[in-house]
Amino acid sequence: MTVGAQARIALAVARKDAMAELRGRSAISSTLFFAALVLLLFGFALGPDAAHLAQAAPGLLWLAIVFAGLLAVARLHQLETDDGALEQLALYPVARRAIYLGKALAGFGAMLVLGALLVPLMGLLYAVDLLAAWPGLVAAVLLGTLGFAAVGTFYAGVTVRLRAREVMLPLLVLPVIAPLLLAAVKATSAALSGDPFGELGAWLQLLAAFDIVMLIVGAGTYGFLLEE
Amino acid sequence: MPQTIYVSPRAVGAPDNPPPAIETFDLARLYDRRPAIAGVSLRVERGAVVALLGSNGAGKTTLLRILATTIRPSFGRAEIDGLDVGRWPELVRGRIGYLSHATGLYDDLTAAENLRFAATLLGLEPPDARERVPQVLATVALGAEADRRVRDFSAGMRRRVALARLLLGSPSVLLLDEPFESLDEAGMQLMGELLHAWQRAGVTCLVATHAAERLLPQANGSVHLEAGIVTAIGGRGVGLSDTPAAGPPRSVPAASSAGEASR
Repeated sequence: MTVGAQARIALAVARKDAMAELRGRSAISSTLFFAALVLLLFGFALGPDAAHLAQAAPGLLWLAIVFAGLLAVARLHQLETDDGALEQLALYPVARRAIYLGKALAGFGAMLVLGALLVPLMGLLYAVDLLAAWPGLVAAVLLGTLGFAAVGTFYAGVTVRLRAREVMLPLLVLPVIAPLLLAAVKATSAALSGDPFGELGAWLQLLAAFDIVMLIVGAGTYGFLLEE
Repeated sequence: MPQTIYVSPRAVGAPDNPPPAIETFDLARLYDRRPAIAGVSLRVERGAVVALLGSNGAGKTTLLRILATTIRPSFGRAEIDGLDVGRWPELVRGRIGYLSHATGLYDDLTAAENLRFAATLLGLEPPDARERVPQVLATVALGAEADRRVRDFSAGMRRRVALARLLLGSPSVLLLDEPFESLDEAGMQLMGELLHAWQRAGVTCLVATHAAERLLPQANGSVHLEAGIVTAIGGRGVGLSDTPAAGPPRSVPAASSAGEASR
């Protein structure tokens, strides 16, 4: 298959997932509500000290993104269990990597929606100034959520046929994304503090490298997951 | 580096002696060490409509799923148009159409959206897809329901949408698993007409069914499976397969031959 044909397939898969998700609005709204709730509860747990909250904000933001993101990527594969849809998807004469990239793109879109909700909410709840930090913050969210979507999509494919998939997905994803979580928190923290040590670029580069490696690994191996 | 495509010697350079549409060699599939099918060696000639008969659990669906590339055989091998299904699954998928028990539809999409998605993945250009989708929906008498979500469809209507999806492609081999299931009388008649149309067009059809009385009048031949073993073969267009002229010897586990080769 040509690169253009694979891109067309990936876009069709992503568009289909987005349409199905938008139609079933309850899943989206409950995921967004869960994410907001996590951020709010972390704030309660840490107490009213504004300086303490602002310092912890990057870590709490990314934990909320990761927890809600697990729900989002699992849901995108859950669609494929509708009346044998996964088997039908595996029957099309297309490169499996295009299907993976399409589902990862849909996951990335869902993660961006989460980020767009949670970043302003973090600013509001934890009294963090976002305006000065926005270029670095946007880059960290884009690269961090892309990497999470790459890993989450792959493992959602691994677990979609398992009965205990709700438990297995976080067990598999969380250890793998540990470096991504660290880099994303450090990059967000550097962006919010004005990058006094000039480390933001290095963390963003690490995130980009993680994304590229995970997308290549996912695209190369996802095909095996579609077979029984 | 360009891949070298292995094709059975009977598939190339011999237009006057093309390979059978479907051929299996000592095919077996185990589930928890129990064979769903065992030692199935069949040959279905091009253009034949063959009924695959047998009681529940006889192995009909397992055989169709191996041929459709959705599961791998435990032993033996299978070919579609001379292409080994384990080695060249993507090429095989381009030549087959498979109607399974499940419809494979997305509940929250409309019938037309489901079919447009399928058309894209089947390689139709967008203008062709826009033209073909209403046509195939009209063929299965669902033209007026194109913009309804399939979540609201009955089982028979969902089956018709799955049939419409088959009509989007141009397969040379159709693998149909209980095609009359869930259909009303009009739907069964439609299915019979489609089988006639495919037969006239030279499309090979292997049809697993319990509705033998509906299929047998127009089928060229039939195969009976019981407990995973072929117990009878009748009619034209179907027979026992010859010893494979090329490829791995019989009874070689697929994981160590076809499987590795495709990775």
